[in-house]
Amino acid sequence: MRVVKDVVCPFCGCLCDDLELEIEGREVKAVRNACAVGEAKFLHYGKHERTRPMIRKNGELVEVSLDEAIRKAAEILAEAKYPVLFGWSSTSCEAVRVGLQLAEEVGAIIDHCSSVCHGPSVLAIQEVGLAGFTLGQSRHRFDLIIYWGSNPLDSHFRHFERYSTFSEGRFRPSISRRSITQFLSTLAERRIKRVTRRLLIKEREEGFYFGARRAPSGPFKERDRKLIVVDVRRTRAAKMADFFLQVKPNTDYEIIQALRMLIRDMELDVDEVAGIPVEVLEELADILVNAKVGVLYFGVGLTMSKGKHRNIEAAISLVRDLNARAKFHILPMRGHYNVTGADVVITWTTGYPYAVDLTQGYPRYNPGETSTIDVLLRDDCDAFLCIASDPVAHFPRRAVENMLKHPLIAIDPVVSATTLVADVVIPSAFSGIEVGGTAYRMDHVPITLKKVFEPPEGYLPDEEILKRILAEVRRIKGKAAEALVPAGA
Amino acid sequence: MATITLTPKYSFTVPVYAPCISPDSFAGKTLKEIGELEVWEGNRRKKLKQLFDIKGKTADTPEEITIKLSGNLWKVRRIGEEMTAGKILIDGDAGLHLGVKMRGGTITVKGNADSWLGSQMRGGTIEVMGNAKDYVGGAYRGSGVGMRGGTIIVHGNAGYDVGEWMRGGFIKIMGNVGAYTGVHMQGGTILVQGDSEGRIGALMKGGKIVLMGKIDSILPSFTIQDLKKRTKVEGEAVEGPFYVFIGDLTEDGSGKLFISKKSNPHLSFYERLI
Amino acid sequence: MAVLLIKNGYVYDPINGVDGERMDIAVKDGKIVEDVDEREARVIDASGMVVMPGGVDIHAHIAGAEVNAGRLLRPEDHVKDVEPRTAITRAGVGYSIPSTFTTGYRYTRMGYTTVMNPSMPPLEARHTHEELSDTPIIDKASYPLLGDSWFVLEFLSKDMIEECAAFVAWMMWATRGYAIKIVNPGGLETWGFGGNVRDLNDEVPHFGITPREIVRGLCKVNKLLNLPHTIHVHTNNLGVPGNCETTLKTLMCVEDLAEDGERAIHITHCQFSAFLGDDWATMESGAPLIARYMNRHSHATIDMGQVIFTDTTTMTADGPFQYGLHLLSGNKWINHDVETETSSGIVPFRYRRTSRVHATQWCIAQELALLIEDPWKIYLTTDHPNGGPFTSYPRIVSWLMSVKAREEELKRMNRRAVKRSVLPTIDREYSLYEIAVITRAGPARALGLENKGHLGVGADADIAVYPLNPEEVDPSRDYKLVRRAFSRAAYTIKSGEIVAKDGEIVKAPDGKTYWVDVKVPEDLWEAVKSEIAEVWEDYYTVRFSNYPLTDHYLKISSPITRQARM
Ligand code: SF4
Ligand SMILES: [Zn+2]
Repeated sequence: MRVVKDVVCPFCGCLCDDLELEIEGREVKAVRNACAVGEAKFLHYGKHERTRPMIRKNGELVEVSLDEAIRKAAEILAEAKYPVLFGWSSTSCEAVRVGLQLAEEVGAIIDHCSSVCHGPSVLAIQEVGLAGFTLGQSRHRFDLIIYWGSNPLDSHFRHFERYSTFSEGRFRPSISRRSITQFLSTLAERRIKRVTRRLLIKEREEGFYFGARRAPSGPFKERDRKLIVVDVRRTRAAKMADFFLQVKPNTDYEIIQALRMLIRDMELDVDEVAGIPVEVLEELADILVNAKVGVLYFGVGLTMSKGKHRNIEAAISLVRDLNARAKFHILPMRGHYNVTGADVVITWTTGYPYAVDLTQGYPRYNPGETSTIDVLLRDDCDAFLCIASDPVAHFPRRAVENMLKHPLIAIDPVVSATTLVADVVIPSAFSGIEVGGTAYRMDHVPITLKKVFEPPEGYLPDEEILKRILAEVRRIKGKAAEALVPAGA
Repeated sequence: MATITLTPKYSFTVPVYAPCISPDSFAGKTLKEIGELEVWEGNRRKKLKQLFDIKGKTADTPEEITIKLSGNLWKVRRIGEEMTAGKILIDGDAGLHLGVKMRGGTITVKGNADSWLGSQMRGGTIEVMGNAKDYVGGAYRGSGVGMRGGTIIVHGNAGYDVGEWMRGGFIKIMGNVGAYTGVHMQGGTILVQGDSEGRIGALMKGGKIVLMGKIDSILPSFTIQDLKKRTKVEGEAVEGPFYVFIGDLTEDGSGKLFISKKSNPHLSFYERLI
Repeated sequence: MAVLLIKNGYVYDPINGVDGERMDIAVKDGKIVEDVDEREARVIDASGMVVMPGGVDIHAHIAGAEVNAGRLLRPEDHVKDVEPRTAITRAGVGYSIPSTFTTGYRYTRMGYTTVMNPSMPPLEARHTHEELSDTPIIDKASYPLLGDSWFVLEFLSKDMIEECAAFVAWMMWATRGYAIKIVNPGGLETWGFGGNVRDLNDEVPHFGITPREIVRGLCKVNKLLNLPHTIHVHTNNLGVPGNCETTLKTLMCVEDLAEDGERAIHITHCQFSAFLGDDWATMESGAPLIARYMNRHSHATIDMGQVIFTDTTTMTADGPFQYGLHLLSGNKWINHDVETETSSGIVPFRYRRTSRVHATQWCIAQELALLIEDPWKIYLTTDHPNGGPFTSYPRIVSWLMSVKAREEELKRMNRRAVKRSVLPTIDREYSLYEIAVITRAGPARALGLENKGHLGVGADADIAVYPLNPEEVDPSRDYKLVRRAFSRAAYTIKSGEIVAKDGEIVKAPDGKTYWVDVKVPEDLWEAVKSEIAEVWEDYYTVRFSNYPLTDHYLKISSPITRQARM
């Protein structure tokens, strides 16, 4: 048995890097520090059905050699007039870098999951900006935490513990006992108890300060950290909140705009906004302006509610306005573990974060036109490569129908709805488990993924597969160019 | 007057980018030269003549040129980009970015138009007989500059974000509109004869929006100012009465919403505040 | 490797005292050599052209978290300036914040071959280096932001200079950094709570230390570690009227730490720190004061931070300053606070000729360059992209070389600003030799890059050949020719290879990344390590073992080894 420490969890945007794995042979026996999701993923890692290299022949997927599958993929891409290379949010930045080269070479659209989850956040940032931070700030300084349309206890379980409500920080040495008791009563899970116990023990250990000349002063020591949850339903996090605002679906925009009015001390003409009495909003606005350092975490509940990027724009503006009164921040709760990395790499290479169209030899960007869903709904593309993603299971039906009209290449370590209907399947190694590389946490902190196992024979890293496809495409294109030159010239 | 007709040679399966289809780039060229103009079919560089049959007579100046397009043009984008004069007639549907940054002349579409119709336009007229999609007279990402002049008339419905970041000019939608009409508007006028899906005038700083049809609610960041019998749009009187709202106050805006009283009896509670 | 012979050019090589002499430069295996066999060599006919060492930029934000956030923020900046791919080059975009590949190509076209990326949040160093390795051709290095790191503040507040030095040495390795960058010392930590510091003697809340102590402490650390460059300082109160005083105090506070002739401090983009006045209405140039100080002292160097009248994107680690700029301009605003270390902010900005303040800023940078007598003390920068994109360097060169060029600009500028400036009375014009100093020799020397910035035997064969005949062209009159020549080098040679010809990229090899590998006494480091490791997890959200970079992140790693003076 071996123990690997400080393993990075490649499953959600929290990108926890403190996992400890007990490993026997090719199996993970125990996982420490992870949340239930992370733990399950590691424990079940060996039990997935892995893909094999396959090509669809006469309507049937048949197993072929890896080289043949790669060659076929390259042929499809080299021939395509408007291919889309999609996925990227669950693979390493190194792979995305090669993906960009491939996109340039074949003249393709490169797009990733932002397009279907936090793309609206990007559009909003491009209109108004973003008051961001890295998560340690949240832990050390913030005395007000808002989750809007995001349920961290379901989607980013350790966000609470590591970065926000239950975390400790330099200026936040004590945690709220009240919330903990409440927490314990609502959730009886063993894991949570363990986490909480640890936190309680830590709390007693004073002298936590690393040699500060004088003890920290200011209000941050005494004050409780407040938690506000805004959501359409009473989530588990909502039950623990100091203030829970239940909003009607698709009314976030009105509420945020009303709050913006209130924090500017302006009166509203109406008595209630989207069914919520103005007094309630006033109470909330009061909490907001009285915070010293606050944060608003938002999730797909806000980005996918009616108005999409306009909601985020309003939320960002709310936070921006609040900065006149207090220090305030905002951060999207990104889902896939490296969706931020895909954003980052594509941005430094092309200037734009997602939905980048390289078909005309230089980057163009216009979500709504060049974003995958829109391309599919307009039935524009004529080939689709999907890497480390399962659009067939998640895209709207009409988009999937259009996608399946044309050749579909899937690169994935495991069998998924997409690999089952693909025309070319290329097996890959699990990134973050069988290959290392870089990923970016939701707050843009880059972290190096750990390789815990050797990939099985024949399962290459995404980066390697893409390099081979790229080489093959260049060979095909080179030949085509040669063919154009008359013999003897 | 010279008329040039363009008909697609086959039905396009991938997007075609053809900003060269405009009286300005056709002017002073022979048909043969026009056929040599460059377009993109997906990731392939093509010549206009490879994609279209080109017929008709040419002229020296754009003013004299009328371009007639027929057939399925839904995949053809950026037609009439930056045109300054002349006419384009589209007998069917038109693809994305029709008449963007246009400065003069007219474009008429018999069918529907896709999104970003006349975005960032500065002059001229676009008339669409069918529906238009999102961002009519809108802006491009991050630019904060929408339509600045000219006229867009849509006989059918229009989608979201009509007149986004609009600074001047006139948009008339005879049917219904999606949400966020006039979002971030700074100037100019929008007249909607049908209903609005809501959030009209969000974040507007200036300009004027007139809504004849229904709307569920006005954003809380607007305040009622007046009840007016009629208002003027492009020099013509439009009969009301209208509730007049000012906003968007969260942006310190002084844009005006004229909302029909007749179509929106549920807004009558505002009257007590006037 | 190619053998090159650059024949008959007018050579400007200030480090070796060569001032426009016609001579040949021989290149072999990436280095300048005494001589090569002409029959083996590829001969470049440089007759009627200027030959200089490749340009060295001491301060340009070209890569990393904040630059990339700027790219993300500004699609509208990119659409107007695109670079289609070619058989040799990658595609890209960007006017004020070009994408990485484009950045490499554009510097190369201007004959620049070494660029220093001045603000790297240590926690996000991987990001910076990933981008730098996608920035082709040029050599580069980054300065980690250390002025507000909790560990630094705590060591310094307890006067533990040696311990602090050991920590900084480790940071240089962990982030593959090159020099100590200090931005608004103490202000960034305070910004974590929404505040700022206003004076060198203000106390940083919770830390019991002042900006003065930070600057002095790190200056001492810098010396102990024997780093090739000095501390690189962005002053407190940057961009605030009256900050000239802060800047002078900052310069003065390390006077005693410099031994004879040695340098102790570099004040970067000094223009932004040279304002007099009480508010914007009374703001005017403090350049004459700073120039007078600089002329009397030799422990400091500065760079210009010229502003260009254009639409650009401002980005600094100075979070509170950027927030102020957002309030002032009403433009969109990105803030990014980095735990335990630093902050940053981004605001798009347009400098207008008609604005009195902006015009004054333009004048300040020019005054600094023209009033400071010794060109070895001041270097050409725009603080790219803060004052304007680096692609405007050729214009700055032409202004410095020609009174007429300056007059042309001044004519179109805000009248009141011009009236109050001393600039119209200055008739100094830079010579090509002096231009070579402020654009390559000077920065290379200040950075301690021994093989850069000159054409002596053994130097890196980074060479720029500009299509400008100094015997025919009078830069004072024909400043437009100068501008054109410096925009498109006839040849750019990097590590002995021709990478650009007539402004076109002909080859795009990878460049090196420099970093400083300082050896500190083992036992000292062990003691410090156990101390920081103990509290690490309480300070950071990333584990101690996951924090340092591996060499995997550098395409060509080029460590400079130093022995600490301990
Ligand atoms: S919170 Fe996310 S990253 Fe952390 S252990 Fe759970 S799944 Fe993994
Ligand atoms: Zn700078």
